[in-house]
Amino acid sequence: MDTASPKHAKAAEAFLRDEENTDWHNETLWFVRSKRDRAAQSLPEWEQLREQASQIKAHTLSKLDDYLIQLEENARQNGIIVHWAANGDEHNQIVLDIMRKHKATKIVKSKSMLTEECHLNPFLIKEGIEVIDTDLGERIVQLRNEPPSHIVLPAIHLKKKHIGDLFHIHLGTEAGATDPQYLTEAARIHLRQKFLLADVAITGVNFAIAETGGFVVCTNEGNADLGAHLAKVHIACMGIEKVIPQAEHLGVFLRLLARSATGQAVTTYSSHFRKPAPGQEMHLVLVDNGRTRQLASPDFRNSLKCIRCGACMNTCPVYRRSGGHSYHTAVAGPIGSILAPNIDMKEYADLPFASTLCGSCTNVCPVKIDIHQQLYKWRQVLGEAGAVESTKKVGMTGMDVLFSHPWLYRFAGRAGRWFMQKFPSLANKPSLNPWAIHRDMPKPPEQSFRDWYAQQNQKKNG
Amino acid sequence: MANPTTRETILAAIGRGKPDLLPLPETIGFPPNISADNLVDSFMKMVQTNGGQAIRVTSLAEASAFLSEEYDLTLPILSRVPGLEISNFTPQEDLRLLVDLHLVVLQGIVGVAENAAIWLDETAIGIRAMPFITLNLSIVLSEKNLVGNMHEAYRLIDTSTGFGTFIAGPSKTADIEQSLVIGAHGSKTLTVFLLP
Ligand code: SF4
Repeated sequence: MDTASPKHAKAAEAFLRDEENTDWHNETLWFVRSKRDRAAQSLPEWEQLREQASQIKAHTLSKLDDYLIQLEENARQNGIIVHWAANGDEHNQIVLDIMRKHKATKIVKSKSMLTEECHLNPFLIKEGIEVIDTDLGERIVQLRNEPPSHIVLPAIHLKKKHIGDLFHIHLGTEAGATDPQYLTEAARIHLRQKFLLADVAITGVNFAIAETGGFVVCTNEGNADLGAHLAKVHIACMGIEKVIPQAEHLGVFLRLLARSATGQAVTTYSSHFRKPAPGQEMHLVLVDNGRTRQLASPDFRNSLKCIRCGACMNTCPVYRRSGGHSYHTAVAGPIGSILAPNIDMKEYADLPFASTLCGSCTNVCPVKIDIHQQLYKWRQVLGEAGAVESTKKVGMTGMDVLFSHPWLYRFAGRAGRWFMQKFPSLANKPSLNPWAIHRDMPKPPEQSFRDWYAQQNQKKNG
Repeated sequence: MANPTTRETILAAIGRGKPDLLPLPETIGFPPNISADNLVDSFMKMVQTNGGQAIRVTSLAEASAFLSEEYDLTLPILSRVPGLEISNFTPQEDLRLLVDLHLVVLQGIVGVAENAAIWLDETAIGIRAMPFITLNLSIVLSEKNLVGNMHEAYRLIDTSTGFGTFIAGPSKTADIEQSLVIGAHGSKTLTVFLLP
C-alpha cells in the first residue's frame, strides 16, 4: 500500500517552534479576515453577489469549451497570439520559445500563481534567462530562494527584520533598517531598473473575457502594468478556468475579489488588456495542467470556480498556525489542498487532512465553493485509493464504526469522559494520544450534551 | 505557435467532462446603494480611503492653479486634458524616457462612487505606460460621470478599446509585515479633481 508521509504535519511542527512568529502570523491573517468581514458587510447584497458569481462560474464551466474557443477567436482577431498547453512543461516551453524567437534574456514577471504551479522560474533560469519577480512580496521570497507562502500575501510569513537583513545583503540598504517605507522605496528603485531593461513581461490573468477576447489583471502595486507596457513582448498565462462569458460579469467579480482578499473596495489597478500596443507583441497561454480532469469529476469540479482571493487561507485555523510553506504546493491552504491531490494524489495525500473541516473557508468563499465538503470527500477518495497513512486510516475506520452505531457512540462518550477524569495524565501523553501534541486536552465535561439536553427536556415537561 | 494537438485534446477533454448546461443568472448586478445626491461625497471619501486626495473645483483653471502650487512645473509634466495646458514634455519613441515624468494629468471617463475606481481607456491615456510610470498622477473627472457601482460602470464604458484600466488610488503595497506603504511601483500620489 502506498502511504503518504505527513509532510504538512512535520513542516507545521517546524513553523510552530517559533511561537512568537506563529502568533503574529495567526493574528495578522485574522486581522485581514476581519477587514474582509467589514468590507463584505458594507454591501447589503453581498450574499446575492456571491450567488451570482457562483452561478456565472457554474454556467461557464458547463460551456467551458465554447467559451475558450470564443476567447481564442476574439483574441486572435485582436492581434493576440494564442497558445494551448496541456501541462506545466508545455507551458514553460512555449514561454522559452517566445524568448528565443526574440533573442530575449530578461523577463519581468508579475504575480502569477499559475507560473508557480508550472515551476517556470527554475526552468527559465536553467536556460540562462534572468527572471525577476516584481510584486514586492514575491521579490522578497525570490531573493530568499523560497516560494510564496500565500497567494495574495506572498511574504506573510516574514517579519520586517528578515526583510531588512535580506535587502541589506541584496539591495545594499542600511544594516538593521526595518522601516517598511524605506525598504519599499529601495525595492522600487531596484525594480524600476529591471522594468526598464526587460525584454519580455509575464503576467497572470485574473479574468479572461470570451466576448471581447481580452483579459483583466488586478494589482495594487502597478507592477503588472509597468512590466507589460514597457517590454516589447507581453506573455499572459492563464489556467483555462479563468475565462468568463462577458465584460458585464466583471462587475460582479471585481466587487468580490479585493473585498474578499484584503478588505479593499477594489484593487488599485484593474487593467483590461485587449490588443497589443503599436509595436508590441501580446501572447495568451491557455493552460490545462489537470483542470480538465478536475472538471470531469462532479465531486471536485466546483473548485475550478476559484478566483484566487486567498480568503479561505486567511480564515483557516490550520493555515494560520502552520504557515503556507507547510502545504508544500504552489497554492496553499484550503483551496490548494483540494487542487493539489488532483495533480499528484500520492505526493499531496496529506493535505486534505490539514483541515479542521470547520467550514469557515466555505463561509467566506466569494464564489461559494463547498471547500470543506470537498476536503472531506478527498479524504474518502484517498482512503479508498490506499493513499492514506495507516494511523489516520485506523482513526477513520474507527470513526466510521462509531458514527454508524449510535449506541456505541453514546457509550464511547461516557467511557471517554470517565477515562479522562480518572487518568487525565494518560490522555495528555503525546506518545499515547497524538492530539495532545501542542495542546493540553480539555477537562471532560461532567455530563454529555445529549444527557444534558434530555434532562432539560424532562425539567420542562415534568 | 499553437500546438493543434494540445488544443484538440484539451477541448475534447472538456467536452467529455463538463457538466450538463447550467443557465446564467437572469439578471447580473445590483442597483447602487448610494443615492444620486450622495455620489460625490461617497466618491471623495473613497478616494481618500484609497490613499489619494479628491478636490472639488469649479473650473480647469482652478485645478491648474492647484497643481502649480503643489508641483514644481519646471520638472517634466504631461497633461492630456484639453484646456489644462501645463505640458512641457513630449514623449519620445523610447518608452524608457517616460521614467523622468514627474506629473501626468489625464481625463477620467467614468468614476465609481462605491470604490473610487476611475475608468481610463487608451484614448484618455495615450501611451499605456504613462499613468503607471509617472511619479505623480492627477485625474480630472466630471461629477456628471459618477455612477454608484461597478455594474453601472460596465454599462457605460467601452471595453472594446485596446487597453483600459480602472485606477483607484496611488500605487500601494503591504508586503512588508502588512504595513501599508503608498507608492510601490506605480504613481506615489493621486489627485482627483471633480468638476461640475
Ligand atoms: S477557494 Fe474561494 S476563498 Fe479560497 S481562494 Fe478561491 S475564491 Fe478565494
